Amino acid sequence: MDRRSFLRWSGAAAGAAVLTRAAQVSAQDAHAHAEASATAAAAVPTFERRPASRVAAPGGQPAVITPNGVSLPWTIRDGVKVGHLVAHELDHEFAPGMRARVWGYNGHTPGPTLEAVEGERIRVYVTNRLPEPTTVHWHGLILPNGMDGVSGLNQRPIPPGETWVYEFDLRHPGTFMYHSHYDEMTQIALGMAGMFIVHPRRPVGPRVDRDFVLMTHEWKLEVGARRPDPNAMNDFNVLTFNGKSYPGTEPLLVGVGERVRIRLGNLSPMDHHPIHLHGLNFVMTATDGGYVSQSAQYPETTVIVPVGSTRVIEFTPTEPGDWAMHCHMTHHVMTQMGHGLPPMVGVDTSTVDRRMSRVVPEYMSMGQTGMGGMGEMEMDIPPNSLPMRGARGPFSYIDMGGMFTVLKVRERPESADPNGWFEHPAGSVAGPADAARLRADGIDLE
Amino acid sequence: MRASLIAIVLALLGAGCATTSIRGDLDRIETISGQALPPDVLDQVDPVGDARVREILRAPLDADDAVRLAIANHRELRAALRELGIERGRVLQAGLLPNPEIEIDLRSQDDPEQPLQVELYAEFELTHALLTPMRVDVASRELDAARFRAAGRVIETAYLARAAFYDAQAAEQRLAVAVRALDALAAARDTATMLFDAGNVPELDVATQIAAYEEARAVTAELELARAGSRERLHRVLGLHGDATEWSIAAPLDDVPEESAIPEALERDAIESSTELAETRMRLEAIAGRVGLSRTEGWLPDVTVDVHAEQDGQTWEMGGGASIELPIFDRNEGTTAAYEAEFDALMERYEGTAIDIRSAARDACNRLASAHLRAKQYEGVIVPARARVFRQTLLQYNAMQVGVFELVTALRAQLSAELSAIDALREYWTARAALEALLRGRRVSGAVVSSSTGIGADQGSAGGH
Ligand SMILES: [Cu+2]
Repeated sequence: MDRRSFLRWSGAAAGAAVLTRAAQVSAQDAHAHAEASATAAAAVPTFERRPASRVAAPGGQPAVITPNGVSLPWTIRDGVKVGHLVAHELDHEFAPGMRARVWGYNGHTPGPTLEAVEGERIRVYVTNRLPEPTTVHWHGLILPNGMDGVSGLNQRPIPPGETWVYEFDLRHPGTFMYHSHYDEMTQIALGMAGMFIVHPRRPVGPRVDRDFVLMTHEWKLEVGARRPDPNAMNDFNVLTFNGKSYPGTEPLLVGVGERVRIRLGNLSPMDHHPIHLHGLNFVMTATDGGYVSQSAQYPETTVIVPVGSTRVIEFTPTEPGDWAMHCHMTHHVMTQMGHGLPPMVGVDTSTVDRRMSRVVPEYMSMGQTGMGGMGEMEMDIPPNSLPMRGARGPFSYIDMGGMFTVLKVRERPESADPNGWFEHPAGSVAGPADAARLRADGIDLE
Repeated sequence: MRASLIAIVLALLGAGCATTSIRGDLDRIETISGQALPPDVLDQVDPVGDARVREILRAPLDADDAVRLAIANHRELRAALRELGIERGRVLQAGLLPNPEIEIDLRSQDDPEQPLQVELYAEFELTHALLTPMRVDVASRELDAARFRAAGRVIETAYLARAAFYDAQAAEQRLAVAVRALDALAAARDTATMLFDAGNVPELDVATQIAAYEEARAVTAELELARAGSRERLHRVLGLHGDATEWSIAAPLDDVPEESAIPEALERDAIESSTELAETRMRLEAIAGRVGLSRTEGWLPDVTVDVHAEQDGQTWEMGGGASIELPIFDRNEGTTAAYEAEFDALMERYEGTAIDIRSAARDACNRLASAHLRAKQYEGVIVPARARVFRQTLLQYNAMQVGVFELVTALRAQLSAELSAIDALREYWTARAALEALLRGRRVSGAVVSSSTGIGADQGSAGGH
């Protein structure tokens, strides 16, 4: 049903006199809840322009950017980098209009990105403010066995309220992760994970201009619920880059001709994610296991990031524009899609709408021409939910959510507005075909 | 002698005048029952043809209208009121004096010279006449008992009209709810059919929806019959027939009040106002009167006074006399003992009735308290809770988390709660009316008249989704 016919139906429903007292009860009830329930008009967040990255490692290696996230601050004590992670519950916004109680580190999920340089020694204090014990496992790092953080195998778990300390040398460069290794099913599902970047002492490969860190995750948050379900094994319905669902994801702003690195890590409970970039091709230069030799690198537009792995890709965009970057599993670019309802594609439901509006004045059939446009409908939905939502784009509604973000390739990235849209050269946007052109090209529509 | 005789006769005649008018009886019944009776309640031949009744029936009815109509029209009640005439007739009869007996003898002698001899003889049963006031007294007690009985019938009839009216209201509301459920199921069935035709769902889904719809149709038909049945019960109480049965109901059942007051001294009030007990008391007094009468008759000699006159040609010879039957062997002991036993037996029943009434009062009170609680729970809590479930299901439907069949299932559950709420409300008002009847002086069953039929909200929803 399109919006026009929806408005027509809601008008007809308002005119229909339903005289029984019970109908009045539910109408009052509906009125009382109208404020509490959300509608499609979800705000699109705005993002600050990021300053140019400082140099983080020898050879002019830039510090990593964690879109929507932060890096852990270090202090240096006797040549050791000292940091502090506090594990605790927090109120997290997946996207405007959808929040939940999650678990994370230092106010974030994923936790702050740890960034250091090969050969450094780090000391990380971990304070457990969770209701149950925890540990931190340094995923992919090669370190003394007693620092590996597997509860029971390598250490006792950190009891609630205690602060424990990990200390080790960063022997190898690479893109790693950290996550709880106690009750992982619950703790990882609720957000206890983060990225760990170790720059090489000498740059490997061509020098990069921008270095992004994106961690993928998946959650099950029932529509209208306020805490993700850590017991979920299927039907994950909130898919995130760095804890955010589109339109909550911060765009990646890069320049034409710049060499860009994106470090992808995946600690989703159950799913690998084929991450696809538009408008360019890339090579995979590293995993959490190490570097891929130049001779083994091959061009790709999609890279599968398996659960418990990192993948590092590098590319140099040549075509300016707003390019989609997303998981290519179609259900992973939806937010809170339901899977238990009958498909309505191909059903003419106008008579059903008429019948139903007698008993449910607010009723409308949905999806009979497909799911596109669902996000735009102004309908009452449960509060704190973003079912089937996307965001308004420069041309029309972008009906994708979830694990979706935009790579904004600009001629002048330093002055570009991260919230702005690409301005297309005249004649470079697809549009309706005109009849003369159709005839000239011999396209017969009869 | 003559003057005193006339005085006695006049006094006896005066005692015989202790009868009452119909209006007097009706006034008394109005006072006892607290229910107004139309002044010409017993005049009308067919109340259905009455202009005032027509006037009431033209506008939508409420429970008070139903009571007014029933008081005027209910044939059993009218019969009971007319039966007062039986007791009134007995009072009249009891007050009548025995008729004097007159004997005339004509005698002619063989000698034609002798004139015709005329002899007159009049006799009057004095003892019987003297006992007339006692007989009138007994008959008056019986009349009073009959008035209490009739007043009880008035209260009962008013209750029956009320209860039947509440039932008719409830039946109408239930049918409206069922029709809404049927609409929803029809929509679900049509949706399933379209989905199946489009190839989107298996035949199981459409079959499930069709089955649910058809079952609901049968239930709705039952509720239609229940509505007609409840109206017919009301017609019998109101004495309506023909085109007088085409009336409408003014409004749905009233909401349940926040508080439902129950008198402090419930048992005592019920005992004090009971028409059954009052009637029995009158009957006891009547029996006591009969015992006294029987004893008096047994002890008092039967005295018959007579006067006679004789004419033997020229002169009249006057004389008087009395005959006395001496109560030596038969002093009415048997009859008296029988009456005494009847009194004792009735006294036992009186006390039993009082026990039953106390129990009935507590029972009515329990019923009312429970019905009040349930009606409030349904109206104030359960129906809103189900409405909330439905509302949230609608939001989940809008959010495409559940399908149309779940939406319909939630709606049916809400409608099912509404049906139960209607039942609870009817039980409350019926219980209220029953308690009021009891406190006005009449025990009534208080049971809700008709039975309920659900709309099957607990049945499974569409298969598959
Ligand atoms: Cu995916």
